[in-house]
Amino acid sequence: MLSDELISNLRRIVGPSQVSVSRANTELYSYDASLAKGQPGVVVFPGNTGEAARIVKIVHQADIPFVPRGFGTNLSGGTVLVSGGVVICLSRLNRIIDISPQRRCAVLQPGVTNLELQDALAPLGFFYAPDPASQKVATLGGNVGENSGGPRCLKYGVTTNHVLGMEVILASGEVVRIGGAAYDPPGYDLRGVMVGSEGTMGIVTEVTVNILPLPEAIITLLVIYDDIADAARSVTDIISAGIVPTTLEMMDAPIIKAVEDSYACGYPRDAAAVLIIEVEGLPVGLQDQVAQISELCRKNQCRDIHEAKDDSERNRLWEGRRGAFGAVARIAPNYLVNDCTVPRTKLPEALSRVAAIVKKYNFEHGNVFHAGDGNLHPLIFFDSRDADQLKRVKKAGWEIMEACVGLGGTISGEHGVGLEKLDAMRMVFNEQDLSAQRALQQAFDPGKILNPGKVIPLSDKKENTLDLSPSGKIGASSTGIAAEAEIIDKIQHAASTGKALLPTGCGTLRHFGNLSNGTAEFLNSSELNEVIEFDPNNQVVTAGAGLALDRLQGELADKNQWLPIRPLFSIQSHSIGGVMALGACGPERMHYGAPRDLVLGLRFINGSGQKISTGGKVVKNVAGYDMTRLMIGSAGTLGLITEVTCRVTTIPERCTAISAEGSLAACAALAGKLITSQLSPVFVAAIPANKADAKIDNESWKLMTGFEGFEKIVAEQLKRTANMLEKDGLELKNQEEYPVQDGIFGDIYIELGQSAFVLRADVPLDEVAGFVEFFSSRLTDANMFVDFGCGRMLAGFEVMQDEVWRQICDLCDQRNGHVLMERAPVEFKKQNDVFGTARPEWQIMHRIKAALDPHTIFAPGRLPGKV
Amino acid sequence: MDRTDISKYYDEISQCNRCGFCQVACPIFRSTGHEAGVARGRLALLRAIIEGRLEWNQEVEEPLFDCLLCGACTANCFAAIPTSDLVIKARAQYLEKVGRKSIHRLLFDQLLPYPRRLHLAARAVALGKNTGITDLARALGLLKIFGRDFVHANEIVERFPTQAFRDQIKTGVHQGQGQSLRIGYFIGCGVDIITQDAGHATLRLLKKIGKTVNVLENCCCGLPAWSYGDLKAARKLAARNLSILVSEKFDVIVTDCSSCASFLKNYPQLFPEADKHHEKSQAVSARVKDMVQLIHTMQAYAPSSDSAVTVTYHHPCHATRGQGLAKEPDEILNRLPGVEYRPLLEADWCCGGAGSYGFSHYELSQQVLDRKMDNLKKTGANLLVTSCPACIMHLSYGVRKHGLNTKVCHISELVI
Repeated sequence: MLSDELISNLRRIVGPSQVSVSRANTELYSYDASLAKGQPGVVVFPGNTGEAARIVKIVHQADIPFVPRGFGTNLSGGTVLVSGGVVICLSRLNRIIDISPQRRCAVLQPGVTNLELQDALAPLGFFYAPDPASQKVATLGGNVGENSGGPRCLKYGVTTNHVLGMEVILASGEVVRIGGAAYDPPGYDLRGVMVGSEGTMGIVTEVTVNILPLPEAIITLLVIYDDIADAARSVTDIISAGIVPTTLEMMDAPIIKAVEDSYACGYPRDAAAVLIIEVEGLPVGLQDQVAQISELCRKNQCRDIHEAKDDSERNRLWEGRRGAFGAVARIAPNYLVNDCTVPRTKLPEALSRVAAIVKKYNFEHGNVFHAGDGNLHPLIFFDSRDADQLKRVKKAGWEIMEACVGLGGTISGEHGVGLEKLDAMRMVFNEQDLSAQRALQQAFDPGKILNPGKVIPLSDKKENTLDLSPSGKIGASSTGIAAEAEIIDKIQHAASTGKALLPTGCGTLRHFGNLSNGTAEFLNSSELNEVIEFDPNNQVVTAGAGLALDRLQGELADKNQWLPIRPLFSIQSHSIGGVMALGACGPERMHYGAPRDLVLGLRFINGSGQKISTGGKVVKNVAGYDMTRLMIGSAGTLGLITEVTCRVTTIPERCTAISAEGSLAACAALAGKLITSQLSPVFVAAIPANKADAKIDNESWKLMTGFEGFEKIVAEQLKRTANMLEKDGLELKNQEEYPVQDGIFGDIYIELGQSAFVLRADVPLDEVAGFVEFFSSRLTDANMFVDFGCGRMLAGFEVMQDEVWRQICDLCDQRNGHVLMERAPVEFKKQNDVFGTARPEWQIMHRIKAALDPHTIFAPGRLPGKV
Repeated sequence: MDRTDISKYYDEISQCNRCGFCQVACPIFRSTGHEAGVARGRLALLRAIIEGRLEWNQEVEEPLFDCLLCGACTANCFAAIPTSDLVIKARAQYLEKVGRKSIHRLLFDQLLPYPRRLHLAARAVALGKNTGITDLARALGLLKIFGRDFVHANEIVERFPTQAFRDQIKTGVHQGQGQSLRIGYFIGCGVDIITQDAGHATLRLLKKIGKTVNVLENCCCGLPAWSYGDLKAARKLAARNLSILVSEKFDVIVTDCSSCASFLKNYPQLFPEADKHHEKSQAVSARVKDMVQLIHTMQAYAPSSDSAVTVTYHHPCHATRGQGLAKEPDEILNRLPGVEYRPLLEADWCCGGAGSYGFSHYELSQQVLDRKMDNLKKTGANLLVTSCPACIMHLSYGVRKHGLNTKVCHISELVI
């Protein structure tokens, strides 16, 4: 299959020593850390992006399958080629290109390991949140490919929540940039789609990640149990009480023993299970959390609670936890690890079902896992040299996945589908869901040469039109079903007549995007307006897309919870579907994340009138492609969202903003300090202070900083912020309490929203002030709202010259940012693209649109590039 | 007895569950990024050979012989799989199945067992290097072989003394100032031929500690042959040494080469229990002390230099992992007056010297050395101390190559 010509061309690109073709050398790339095997024909080691792109070009021309690979520690067979081809090993792309605390981001090559990044960040007082247990040897490229998690993800979220942008080589060899230091580029969330795509959509050759200031204090608890069920119940209780520690990890007796046999890490050998619970933040209030957690653990019969006395003790505990997979080599030559995720409240049941299944197949097993996320890792010990054991262990693994899916969970929380869980994809998705995912992949790789045979099982020939899959069972009530049927009728009619449809919810966001061709009919989800399922103990809610956000918040508030989104403008009257379709959020994004960070799964109706499910109901989920993030921010161009499942959170005890006045430069400097400090502001924003003058100058601005959370911690942060403000010579104004759902920007939004033009510009965090200065020198009477925490500026104004618009677009481009005219008069839209200067990656969006909306019926004009 | 069959080690080899943690610690993998250069890959190859998917042929030479045998993988392996040991066994089988190079035959069969011949050869090379007169060397065929297999040996070794250390100080008993301790001084080939300053310093210290110092007529400890996989040659060398070391005329056997020390302590592993040398090797190995251990137990000492120095320390693989001497050097340096000790980052990482590895795998060894030098630069130390002649040679080369002012010396040279 691999011609001599191809091999010699590869050698010409990278040099002979960086091409491995011998039987022995290719054997070394026939495995990863999973049980999968498959021998490549050749392994190539590019030294830079250019070489990698040239390799892809010639391999693409020769129509040969290929897979990117880092250090080969994948746990699902993702980096093993199914039937020969080329392994493109990126281990030599191992440079940290840039670390910028002011921008809260770092730029890296994919061969940098997670730990190398952490080691480089720590001296600067920063860290990168995802911390897979294999961080010593897991590369960032692999982390991106698998959407890796890790212990800390309980508090901070997984890889996709921390990747801002990347450079990607597409299947054709073309190199494109997606996203970057500036948040939320318009159009589809391509980085969301790439993260977790397991090397089937492109080769990531550079990645920009979000970094965070290291916490001021950390307390690590080792809680010891005589019964694993008590440990599991403690986890459930802690989560149900609304406490979110940084980590909530569990290890049971067999694992503890294997780890302690390897190194003395400080675990009690006679314990049935331990929890490693870590809380972090400002010292004030930490002990309260420890006391609350300890009480819940004692209530569940823990034997002892031990607090790590120093960093070395803490590090040893973590060293043991991280080495657990390797340590079980002491027990048996191989292990099979499942990484199913279940709702946290189902943990005790899941553990006992796992134990029963393992026993049934006559194996021993150990548990070491991210209990707080409900992300199990049962390790079944066996010897792959025994064919019968291998067969049995795979059956056991299969049944464990079935059991967890049966409990409302999913088949993989962080290890990926790869080869090992390919068939299990049908446990969570039906054929329609899978073909939507297939179409998405083919938009990137029409020739099916990028890591083929992974993630999505081959299509099931007998077309499954009855919607009976597990994901199909949950859904709307009878009125909802009737409404859905009507929507499907409309879509099918549109598909046959070529008529355009514009999805809407409460109708508050219809102004979005470029002009449609004028004939689009509204497709309305407003009748899908119920809370379908609310699991307050697990902090997860599923709601119909037409439900207004304020109604949802009302129902959540009954259980002292809320969805931490405060979209701009008319804030609470948007439909939940509309908020998700536009990814709408305010400056609180810096703390709570964007809608993309809060949604766990959704359902939509596509251009063929099929109901498609994405994601699930658990907080960690890497089963299949991330269609959820594709839909969020897709502005209705791919279908009508009918149902959304979100992670919700406990209502903070106190919400308070502190304001001060000073020059734009002084506000920006202080914002920069807050952003890189150990405080956790929920927003850092500013508006011009002297509104009466109507003219903006750079001298008088009002900086507003919000804190939300436990009373004690908010008070401490307010105190420290006030000190910082005073020290920097800003004039302290007032402190203002505000209602959690509404925030404090309502009036500002209302004023902005009345303008003929509303512009949003995103730039890297440290470029905001410069951009604002430029902007206000061109449009002196605009209403402005500057979001320092997210690198965003909003402006409302009445007149915009095309010339000025072009200057703004150019400046944003130069500063690696982007613009979006959120609202503009028809005349402007006729002349301009509201999404700014055309970018190469928009082509990918257009291909995705063509693949998933083949009749081109949805939301014309709402995709960048006037599509 | 010498017929090796790695399938005997199938269980140990299969124990690797491919977690990959060895990658973080392997200096070769960190340089190349190739799986062929790391324990997980080497174990996978051996498993493939045992399971019949791969043959013994030249394709496996590189993965097997590119290993530094530094043991860092095992130290980082939660299951502690002894990969270096398994690699040596595999090398042995490789030599039997595929063959070995003439330079190694010459070294292990003709030179290393015979100190006199080794001296002669060294003298020949020294003359060639120092004066340009290479006739004698050429006559011995040495330079030709060195020229082919050890292309860079000439630049790595800065100075080649013309007279062996042992010839300068005379073998036999030297009187010391100590109360009662009778010391046998085992001079390794490196100290004997190249790092003679270390030898002089060691002898001075030994005389201070011991009542008598017996300078032994030992030959090569056998480690180079063992590492190369020539187990037979290694056992032959060990057996020759045992006949000298078993003597009752000394209480301890001291060497200032941590590699020799580590291998001498391992002699019992060379001879199975049934072997006639087994018992002898146990008695001998129990009496072996690394010079670092001896200095560590010394009551009083002061820096040999008057001016204050900043010192950093490189932990040789055979001291820290080979003998577990991880803390002793730090403790010595920390209590040394007039010395500011600045620990080296990755101090226990192999320097790339690894015996003759620096000669035989020049490019790879340089990548490993460069990493060491980068860490050295961060300390700003003006003295780099260690306890193994091969490290001294390689580190000195690194310092010259990187244009640093740092001096490299043996720990014996730092104390009086």
